[in-house]
This record gives sequence, structure tokens and C-alpha cells, in this order.
Amino acid sequence: MRICPDRSSREASVLVFVLLVTFLFPSSVLAQNARSADAYQPNQAISEPSANDEIFRLERVPVEGGAELITIHARLDGIQTPAHDSWVPLVTVLRDTLGDSSPDNDRLRYVWPLTYTRPTIGQRLSGAVPFLYARVGSRKSASGKAPPPALDLAATDRDVWNKIFWTALQSLLLDPYGIPVKASTRSYRQNSSDYRKSHIIRALSVLSLYQAVAGPETAPAFSQPELAEIQARLKLTDKTFGGLVSELNLQRYNEQQITNLRDTRGHNWELLRQHAEVESLFFEPLQMPDGSTTHAMLWVAKSDLATNQGKRYDGRFLNIANPWTDKRLLDWPGYSETRFVDSANRSVSEDTPGARRIELVPLALYGLDSPKIPALLVDFRDTFNPKKRELSGRVLQDVTRNVLSVSRYGDLPYFLGRTVFDFVTGRRGMDINQPSRLRTYSQLKLLLSLNQSLNPELREQLGNRLERVSLNPMENDMEAEAKLATEQYAALLAYAKQPDGLPQKLDRDRRAEMTKLAHGGAQQSLFRLANILSFGKYTHRESANSELESRLDLARRFAYHTYFLRQVANSGPQIDVTWDLAEVKRSLQFIVDHAPEADSKSARAAATIFLRTQDDETRRFCLESLTHMTNPKAKTELLRLSQQKDLDQAGRDLLLSYQKAPRQPTGPIAVTGEKSTTGGNRVDQ
Amino acid sequence: MARLSTNWFRAELPQAIRITSLIRLGVLLVLLTPALSFGQTKRVVTIQCDGLPYDVVDRFVQERDPATGKSQLPWFDYIFYQRGTRLANFYVRGMSLSGPSWSLIDTGQHLQIKGNVEFDRYTLQNYDYLNFVPFYVNATVGRRIDMPGVEVLDSLGIPTLTDAFPHSERHATFSLFQRGPRYVTFQKALENRFKKGPKELFDEWTMGGLAMKGSVPDQLTRELIESIADPRYRYLELVTTDFDHTAHHNNDREAHLFALKELDAMLGQIWTAIQKSPLASETTLVVVSDHGFNTDERVYSQGFNLVKLLGSPAGGGHHVVTKRRLLLNYAIKGLNPFVPDITTTTSDSYYLRKQSNEYPTAMLDFDGNERASVHLRDSDLNLLQIILQQLQHEDLSASLRRALTDQFFNTLDARRAGWQQDVSDVNEELAALHRAIERQRALCAVQPKKFTKEQSAAGLDDEAKRVCVWEDIWLAREKSYSEYIRILTNLIALRKESFNPSALKIEDLIARRSMGSHNTVHQLQNYVAGIAPGGLIVKPDGTLDMEKSFVHVDYFSLLHNLTVRNNPQAGVANHPVDLLAVRIPADLVRPLITDTEIAPDVVWVSAGSEQQALILAREDREGQLSFRYLPIKNLTEDETGHLHFQSSTWQPGLPLQIFEDPQLQLPAAAQGQSREAWLSSWHTDLEWFEALHKVRYSNGLIGLHEQLARHLVGRLVDEPGLSLDERLLRRLLRRQRQNIEADILVVASDHWNFDVRGFNPGGNHGSFFRISTHSTLMFAGGDKTGIPRGAVIEEPYDSLSFVPTVLALTGNLRDDNNPIPILWDKGFRHFPGRPIKEVLTPWQNPKTAVTGATATH
Repeated sequence: MRICPDRSSREASVLVFVLLVTFLFPSSVLAQNARSADAYQPNQAISEPSANDEIFRLERVPVEGGAELITIHARLDGIQTPAHDSWVPLVTVLRDTLGDSSPDNDRLRYVWPLTYTRPTIGQRLSGAVPFLYARVGSRKSASGKAPPPALDLAATDRDVWNKIFWTALQSLLLDPYGIPVKASTRSYRQNSSDYRKSHIIRALSVLSLYQAVAGPETAPAFSQPELAEIQARLKLTDKTFGGLVSELNLQRYNEQQITNLRDTRGHNWELLRQHAEVESLFFEPLQMPDGSTTHAMLWVAKSDLATNQGKRYDGRFLNIANPWTDKRLLDWPGYSETRFVDSANRSVSEDTPGARRIELVPLALYGLDSPKIPALLVDFRDTFNPKKRELSGRVLQDVTRNVLSVSRYGDLPYFLGRTVFDFVTGRRGMDINQPSRLRTYSQLKLLLSLNQSLNPELREQLGNRLERVSLNPMENDMEAEAKLATEQYAALLAYAKQPDGLPQKLDRDRRAEMTKLAHGGAQQSLFRLANILSFGKYTHRESANSELESRLDLARRFAYHTYFLRQVANSGPQIDVTWDLAEVKRSLQFIVDHAPEADSKSARAAATIFLRTQDDETRRFCLESLTHMTNPKAKTELLRLSQQKDLDQAGRDLLLSYQKAPRQPTGPIAVTGEKSTTGGNRVDQ
Repeated sequence: MARLSTNWFRAELPQAIRITSLIRLGVLLVLLTPALSFGQTKRVVTIQCDGLPYDVVDRFVQERDPATGKSQLPWFDYIFYQRGTRLANFYVRGMSLSGPSWSLIDTGQHLQIKGNVEFDRYTLQNYDYLNFVPFYVNATVGRRIDMPGVEVLDSLGIPTLTDAFPHSERHATFSLFQRGPRYVTFQKALENRFKKGPKELFDEWTMGGLAMKGSVPDQLTRELIESIADPRYRYLELVTTDFDHTAHHNNDREAHLFALKELDAMLGQIWTAIQKSPLASETTLVVVSDHGFNTDERVYSQGFNLVKLLGSPAGGGHHVVTKRRLLLNYAIKGLNPFVPDITTTTSDSYYLRKQSNEYPTAMLDFDGNERASVHLRDSDLNLLQIILQQLQHEDLSASLRRALTDQFFNTLDARRAGWQQDVSDVNEELAALHRAIERQRALCAVQPKKFTKEQSAAGLDDEAKRVCVWEDIWLAREKSYSEYIRILTNLIALRKESFNPSALKIEDLIARRSMGSHNTVHQLQNYVAGIAPGGLIVKPDGTLDMEKSFVHVDYFSLLHNLTVRNNPQAGVANHPVDLLAVRIPADLVRPLITDTEIAPDVVWVSAGSEQQALILAREDREGQLSFRYLPIKNLTEDETGHLHFQSSTWQPGLPLQIFEDPQLQLPAAAQGQSREAWLSSWHTDLEWFEALHKVRYSNGLIGLHEQLARHLVGRLVDEPGLSLDERLLRRLLRRQRQNIEADILVVASDHWNFDVRGFNPGGNHGSFFRISTHSTLMFAGGDKTGIPRGAVIEEPYDSLSFVPTVLALTGNLRDDNNPIPILWDKGFRHFPGRPIKEVLTPWQNPKTAVTGATATH
């Protein structure tokens, strides 16, 4: 059988081998190698107690060269941890501060979900085996290298271009080599992507949980806008072009996602409770440390099993077998619990007067964050049940795309058939061909680790059954993950301490960031192309010098203030009502001070703010900045302002005075100004 | 001068003319008395917010946004807290439910629309006040011109606030009481959806597809802002529903805040547009809401399925008609917005298996969710149908056949006179309706078909279409009522001597898809649902044993005793039902109480057999309503129609939990009087309102009466000088309104709901809890409007106050609460609600907001 119809088999083999090797051993585009890890030395870190010290702890570790690692540790009582206590580092974020205390020039960079590690060779090979929907064992220990970050927050577009590049490579180069190559490479990419996704989901959960349980007296890990940015960027990794979304839209996207998630969670909570009630079962919500209910269990009372034998049962949405005809439950050998309820069926302690005893047998556990219907994650009577439901969508996709080579966009009958099938199964909430339960699966792992109220035996049973749901050979089990997280964190700290480790990487990143300060658009595009074509191996960097460093500082501050002003300008018709004008003027003053550096965005923002404020001083700042800008857009904006028909007389007069007056040298406007430590002029009102 | 005039009259005019002229002059002078005109509001912009709770708004206004240092809702703060007046105690009068509540807010008259969906018992015709889709489709083909709510109000002769302004001077868009379709909004929404930069469109597509969801509300705001710039518009209105939808779906604080921030930003745009407009100083901006919201961050609202209950053997085995599809989002059929009604078939029906389409026997309106209205088919129709079914079996024993026949005619004879009266009356009314249709047809035929642009702007095209639409509506009504009456006529024509059941077709005697007359309390307590498992039993005396032969359901105890086994949330009871309420004719109550002067409607409210009350009402000559709350227990009605109950004392646990509520505020005049003594007396609705508004059930006592009593206004009243046909048509109108009244109003316990269309875990409304009825009303105006600044009004007001206040602000209300003559001619009548005097009079003693107001400058 010819698998490479257009090439000689030898050439093809070589090519396939090279690409497979590239797949299996990619040093991540984002990750950099590190030397072996030194021992973890927490005494160098600043550990901040959190209000809820029982669950989370925040640690900040300074990094040579002007950065800090911010790490959230959690006490994972639910699993065995290598250390004596059960604190496990879960997520680390690198904040590049350029060595000062001003937040204006800070930049959030890498996010490390510390349980996310490089798969072993065995895991990689298994991941490339088509239709192998099972875990093959866990990584025993971390490699000693710095862990791979899941995302670079400062270069999210790189992720998009990589995805596009790999998709194109897959379609144009690998798919024509026939089913084995096509299926294995696609399987590998799918598993690899899912593996990353599951850890991003967990990182998101950890960040949300930390923020939710942190009390007001605790310094938050991140400011609200920073957190919104991190969360939105992590969520957007799910979208093909998510990395290209403008930062101005991140907050809105995050808000939409939060609302949608809360809708889904409450909806599934209620769906499950109502159906449990109708079917005479017991519903028990399971809570995360912040009180949010992300999962729920269904139980059946032993006493009901006898009385309800043969009772009519509607399994729609519950997706488990009829308990009233299941003889095994009558003599259930597995886990069961004794509970006590009062006359209002509320759970009470045994010694409560009038408490009624009930023996409960667990039936199933569901995730509540999946769209449309609760996702069955554990079926105590049929371990394979959740897995086959999860498999249904994946198998359909793998068979049609990887084996039959049928594409939605290339085959009309398939497109129509699949559209109808997807619509019906989706609309009706049938638990086949549904969106993956990756989110709830990942969250359950976290819940089992954090929840202290679950009976240890039940938790162990849930953990064991959960591992069997996993379709991904690259996944590790919970205990291995805790160990890996601790080891990877130690490796990361060691990497941060080495002069040729994280500090060097930081320096390289900054030098790469300087490229746009030293080169025009066309050259930057060429550098980008070279980066993509070299699988990320080549990145153009400038040679650092003090001038470029100060320009970088300035560029970051400029970006900060421009972003802020754009946000203000876009916020509504009268910014005086909705913003603190002192802050607005501070940013405008910065633009005035560095007007020649201003781009069209800041010109547009300053002009819009002029129109949207009644405050004379703020208007003067706007005009001052526009008149000092060398960007041609500033002139256009000034012209636009002068043509505004609905501009009030005061604004018109002010505008006229600026048009007539000779240009003044750049400097602070007539307000009491204090030079800030960061170089900007702070305007005190 | 006065003397001269008098002399002139005396000398020159004959006596008769003089008297008539004097009367005319008097009327004219009264009508020309200057209207209440407190400020110089020449224009009103009203933002109608669906389900905006005052407490939630207030809480977020007080909070600082760390990113801006300003209030979380800076525009609410700026407009209404610093520059306007807000009512800290504004409540829905009646149920906290959109359809009824907006109808009351929009008209200023007592409640006529009793649910978001109403069903006519005779014909199952439904009035779906919320569904825009059929309205727009019907409007496109010329079958409709107004939303159903407007049609009902028009038929009753009750104008809405927008009608007070000429067509060319009002800007009103999508609302439940929308007059005339508005297609241009859709077209422009589509155009503007894509009028964005490519990057912005790309981002939107990446973030969630180019959904059209938000484009129509955005367009509505744009259109309002455009109209604000046009000084011709004197009344502008915009409806927003986003917060209501969000709060139903989730109870998350952040999600609620996001939704409110959107609303806040929209208010900012509108306020800014007003300030830029030529009438800025004379414009008043009003934010009003139709209800509060029972939402709590710590609690999910739990649903209980009453449809399933009614379909169960214990619930009577009913096939249940609803207007909303159960689990709508999980049904393929749910995509069809034109389904007139949904029948949920039960396999537990006792005698109507596989006949769900022909014979549904219950109707349920669960919209609003914290309450449901239950209609059950006339229990006697059930009995007659069951007996007929049995008599058509050939294998019956002679004794049983005889017993069944006797029982059939006993039941029929007991109802025959009443039904005969109905038949006669309805036939008279239908004859009058037929004549009205003929007249309307003639009118329709002469309506112009083409209109100039100016005529369209004046609304003349819609007026012409409206003439023809009413012909259609009346024709449909004539047809459906005639059919019901035809079959009822067949039934009452049966005579024992010529009775041959095997030759009869049941559908010719028992109307399909009809509930028949209302059930009495006795019927609801002894509802015949089917043949008992033991079968039909003949007593030794040869009569049918009614007790043993039939399954009887007592709906009051059934609903009160409902419990659930899953009770996972602290603070949520395991009883889904809190209260049941029924309207009882006062004639049944009078013999049992000492009060003789009571209104025709008594409300019986029950929280269990031992915890019940009667709400008595009376109205004085000036129209002042008074109420008395009478604690009772064990109310029953016997077969002969006599009520029985025992008196009870004021105690904790009575319906509405007034006695034990620490927030009860007795008036100063009641000092020295015991709580029990004050509560046992008659008080005006205002006295009750002031005493009760802060208790857990707030104005529930007044609200229950508003909801269940029949309020005679507009064309429901027989005025002197009407022709016979007009009287008959008004009688038909009263009949139709009575036909939509439910048998039982079921009110949910706290954090429970009856929504079965989907799930509303975030929160609900519909009940009489304060949290659900406590709503938002705020005013802010330009310099000349006289609206007080930075003021908070603690005096309680309810939604009846809205229209008179707006009319007073704009100089359209006289000081006797009557409209000015021009509005009188348009059908506006005396308003029962108090205008909010604090907004109208110069602010003497302002209560500056002790919380919240953020100084901007």
C-alpha cells in the first residue's frame, strides 16, 4: 500500500521521522532549558499569609534582573504529598517589573501551572497512538528542568501563529502520507493540546479560588485588571484566534465568561436536584473552598431500594442505570454512608432529637460546569459509563477526520448529516457527542485535593474512578501531580536563581521586546515569519544597551498610559462621572511629557477624552498632548475637534486658544506636579 | 360682573336653557380648573427596567469601584443620588410579575391583567402578554397591530400613559404594551451590528461569534438618543430586560454587577443626550421597575414541578395545558415560537387516557415563577363525562346503570339553571357582538388604504388598521364562544325521559378543550378526578356511592402538604408552597361575619387548615379602599354552597406573618393599642401600607386583594345612557375578564419557584415577599422641572402612583386626581393612586442621602 503517493518512500520516511521527532521532543516554544534544580530554599522568598491561611498561601520570589515569581500554594489535604505538611505550589506567574516598584511598566509574562509537565517519552508515544483513549501511567518525577509555562501573557499572538502553522503543516505535509501518519500525528496534537488545556483550566480555578477566599486584609496576588487579563487570556487559549483579541476587550470577555459559567453551574445544580427529587434519589452538592458548587453526587437510600423495586425511572439527564431494577444495589458491597436527617429532611448530627437515620449508597458524581447538562464523571456501578460517553464525541471526530478523511467543509452530505446530528444531540442534551468534560474533570481533581469534608475512603474511590475517565495518555494521576508540582516548583526556583537561567531568559525576552523599538513594521514581520518557520527556535533580539533599556521602560509606560486612556475614552459619554480625573490627568501628563513617542491610538484617546469631559484642566491636558504629538494622527484629531458642531463654547474657546498660541515646550502643565519615581508626572488635585 | 352675569342669565334665558347652560358651564369651569402643575416638565424620558430591585441598586451605588474610585454605578449615583430623587420604598401593587405589574404602572388603574399568560376557561384562548414573535408575524400579515396587552386594555377602555401624548410626540418602542409594530429597529440593528472596525468585529467573532443578541437593545438605545435630540418628542420610553434575565439565571454578585454596569452606562448615554438636547432643563428622566427580585448569593432558587404534580395520580391525573413548553431548551419543538399552547400528557389520567389533545382538564400559568395560577375543569363536567363514558358500556348491570343515570341527572339538574342562564346571557351578548362586527366591517371597508408620510407620523395608518383588526378579533371570539355555548346547550337539553347514552357523542355534550365554569371551594376540596380503584359502588338504596366510587382530590391539602426529600440548602424549607389564595363571593361570607358593608369580593388566603384568613374590603363614596384581615381556620364549603369556618385569633404563623413581624410599624395614633387590636380593625389601604410595607410580605395584604378582586373600571362599568347593545357588550367583556380568573393562586415558599420551562436558580419573583415587590423608582430633572436633588423619599408608594405623578409633572393632572379634559376625552379617568407629592412640591425638608452620594466635583 502506498502511503506517500507523490514521493519516494525513502524521502517520505525521513521526513516523517524528522517530523515525528519534532513532535515527540519539542522543547516548547515557550519553555527554555534549565540546569538541574537546586534544593528549594524558601527562606529567600516572601511568603504572605492569606486570610484563609488554611487553604491558600501566596509566595513572592524576587528574580535577578527585576522580576518576581508569584506563586499560589494550596494545602492539598486530599492527597499524599511528599513534604510533611500538605502544602503544594500550584500556579506561578512571572511579573517583569524592570526592577522598580512602579506598576506602570510591569508586564505579566509566563504562567506555570506547576502540575503541567513535559510528558515522558512513553506518554508521548502513547499519545501518538490513534484510538488509545487511556492513561498509561504517571510520570514518576520531574525532569529537573524548569517547567514548561502554559502561556506567555505578553506574547499571546505567538500561540496563534504556532497553531496556524502546525495546522497548515498537518494538513499540507503530514495528512497526505496516509492514515497511520495522519492519525498518529493528529492524535498526538489533540492529546497534547488537551493536556495543556486541562492544566490551564486548573490554573484558572486556582486563581479564582485564591481571589475568592482572600480576605480584604490580604494583599491580593494580582490587581483586579491584572487578574481579569490573566483569566481572559487563559480562557482565550481555547479559541483559535484568542491570542489576537485586543486587550481592551479582555475585561468584557472575562465578564461574559464568568456570567456564562455561573449560569451553567446554577442551571446544572437545579437540573440535577430536580431530577434526583423526581426519581426519589438524594442530591448532594460538593463545594470548593470558596463555597462554589462545582460538582454534585447522587445517592440512593437503601431503604428505598426495597420499597421502590420496579418503580418507573426516567434516566434522561442522569445517564445512569435504573437503580430500582438493579439487584446489585440490594446487597451493595461497595462504599456506603450513614447519615441523619431531621423532619425537614435536612442533614443533622446523630444526636439531634428526632433525627432519622438513612443508609446511602453512592450512585454517581457529576460536574456542573459543563454546558447544557451535568457531566457524568463517576458511575459507581459502571466505571466505563462516563468514559464511553466522553469517548463518543472523540471517536466520532477521530474516525471521520483521521480515518475517513471526511471534513465538514469538504463534504456536503457529511456536513448536513453532522450538523443535524450535532444539533439534535446538543439540543436534546443527550450525553453523547457532547463537549468534552475536560473542564469538570480537571476541576474535580482540584476539588478532591482541596475538599476536606469528604470521607477519605470515598475520596479515594472517587479519585481512582476518576483516573479511569481520562482519555489522555499524557495525564498523570493526582498524587503524581502533587509530587511533580513540588519538584517543578523547586526546579523553577533554582532556574530563577541561576544567572543563566530565568534572569537570562528575562533578558532575552526584553531584548526580543526591544525589536519593535529598533525596527520598522516590515522588518518585524520578517522576524516573525522566521520565528514561525523555525518552529520558534529563532527569535530576533536586540543587543541591550542603556538607551534601548530606557526606551523599553518608556515604551511600557507609554503602553500602560495609552491603554488606560483608551479605556477611559471608550467608557462612555462623560468621563468626569465615571473616572477619577486625577488619574486621567496623570496619564495625559505622561503623554504630554513624551509626546513625540505617541502613536495614533493615544492621539485618538486624547481627542476623545477632550470631547467627553467638561473639566477644563483635563481638556487642556488633552490639547497639550495633541499639540505636542508629532504623529500625523494628532493633527487629524485636532482638526476633527475643531469641526465638532456639538462642542460647548468653553471647549471651543479652549481649542481656539491652542490653535492660535505658539507651541510651548513640553513640560508639566500649570498644576502642582510631583515627579514620580517612575518618571511620569503625577498631578495632585 | 358676577351680578351682571346673573342678571343677564335671569333676564334673557328661558328657565330650561338656563339650567342646562349652568350645568354645562359648571362642568366646563371644573374641567378648566388649572391642572396640578408643580414644575415645568415639558418632556419625560422613562426607562422601564424589568425586575430592578431597589436594594441591589442601592448597595452597588454605595460601593466603590477600586479601578475608578467612583461608585460601582457612577451614573445612578450622579443622576439620581446627587441630582435627583429616589424612592426608598416603592412597591409593586399586586403580584410582583411583569405582565400585571407593567399594566398597572402603565395605566395607573386597578389591576385587570392577572398574569403573564391568561387562559379563557370557555375556549382555552390564551392571552400571552410576553411573546413578541407571534405579534410581529401577525402584524406583518395585517392580522394584528398591537401587543395583546394593549388589545385587552383597549377593549376595557383603559388607556396607557403613552396614549396621553399625541402619536407624533411620543417615542415608544418594544414593550409588553406596545402599540404598533416597529420593523425599522430590526433593520437598523442589523446594519449597525456590522458598522464597526474590522478588528473590533474580528474580536467579537473570536470571543463568541457575531451574535445578534445585543444588537436590538443597542439599537433601541440609539433610537431613543436620536429622538431625545428632537424637541417634538414629549414622552419617550425605553424598556430594558437584561438585569431580570441575568438574575433569573444566576445568583452571582459579579454577574449582577456586570448587568447593572451595562444599564448604568446606558443611563449615562441617555442623560448626556438629554443634557445636550434643547429641552434639557425641562426634561425629567425616570427609572421605574415592575418588581424586585428574590435573589440571594448564598441560595439557589429551587423549582417544583406543578405540571407533574397535577398529572400524577395524587394530583388528579390531569392533562395540563401551559403556554410555555416544559424544558423548552431541551426540546426540538421548543424552537417553534408559534405554538398556541402546550399540552403535557399524563399516562396517569383516570378516564381520559390518550385524549390529552381533546380533553385537557387543567391549565397552569407558572410564569413569574414564585406563583402559579391553577385552572381546573369544572368538577361536575368531569363527573358527567365519567358517567357518560360508563353508560356507553353495554356490560353495565341494570342497577349500576340506573344509579349512574340518576346521578348524571342529579348533577345536571343541579347545574341546569345556572348553565341555562349562562347560555341565554351569552347568546344575547353574542348577538350584540354580531351586530358590532357588522358595524365594524362597514367601518373597516371605508378605511383609507394609503397614507401620506405626515399621516403615518400621526399614526393614522395604524388607526385604520386597528379598525379592521378588531373585526378579526371579535369574529374569532364570536366563533369560539358560540361553539362553547352550542355544546353546553346540547348538554342542558338532555332529559332523563329521552336519555339514550349509547346514541350520544360525548364531544357533542362536553366541550373539548374547555374548562367550563369556575369551580367552587367545595368542588376544589372534593374534586372528582376519576373512578376510584375499587370501581363504581351502588349503595343499598340504589344510589351511587359518591364517596367510594370516585377519586376525590382536596387541592388545598394536596398543595399545602407537599414536601421534598432533597433539602440541601440551609434556610430553604422543604415545603414548596407557602400560600393559596382564592376569591370568594362576599355573599357567601356575609352570613358568617359581623361586617355587613363589604365589597363583593373576599380573598381567602390559606397557609394550612389552621392558618387562614379572609381579607375583607370595602370602598367609600370617594373610592377610598379599606381592608380588614380576619384570622380564621378550617374553611370549607358544603355541597349546598354554604361556607363554614371557625374564627381564629391573631397569632404567629397566619398567612403573611404580619403579627410576629418585628418590622410592623403601627401608626402613632395606635399607641396604647395592642398589636392585635389594631390589626383586627378596618384600615384604609394607605394605613395598612404604611404599617406593613417593611414586613417580610410587605404590601401583600393589599396585593392579594388587588390581584384577586374584580375592579370595575373603564368599559367594565355600566354607565348611564348606554344603548342595550353597549350594555350587552360590556357584560360580555366582564364575562371574558372573569373567565381568565384562576381557581387557585399558588404562592411559593421563600427560594422556591414553579418554573418548568427551564431552570431559574438565580432568583425569581411573582410572590408578595417584600424582596420581590420592593422595586425601583427614581426621578431626575433639569433645572426647571423642580425635581428635588439629592433626595430620598421614605414614604411608601406603590405602582398606582406612577402615572398620576408623571401626569402631574407634565401638568396633565388636576388636583382631584382627574386628568385634564383633553385626556378625559381620550379615555383617562380618575386615578386611584396618590401622586408622589415629594417629587411635585418644592422640597422643604430634604433628606439628603445619608449613604452613597458620591461628590463628583
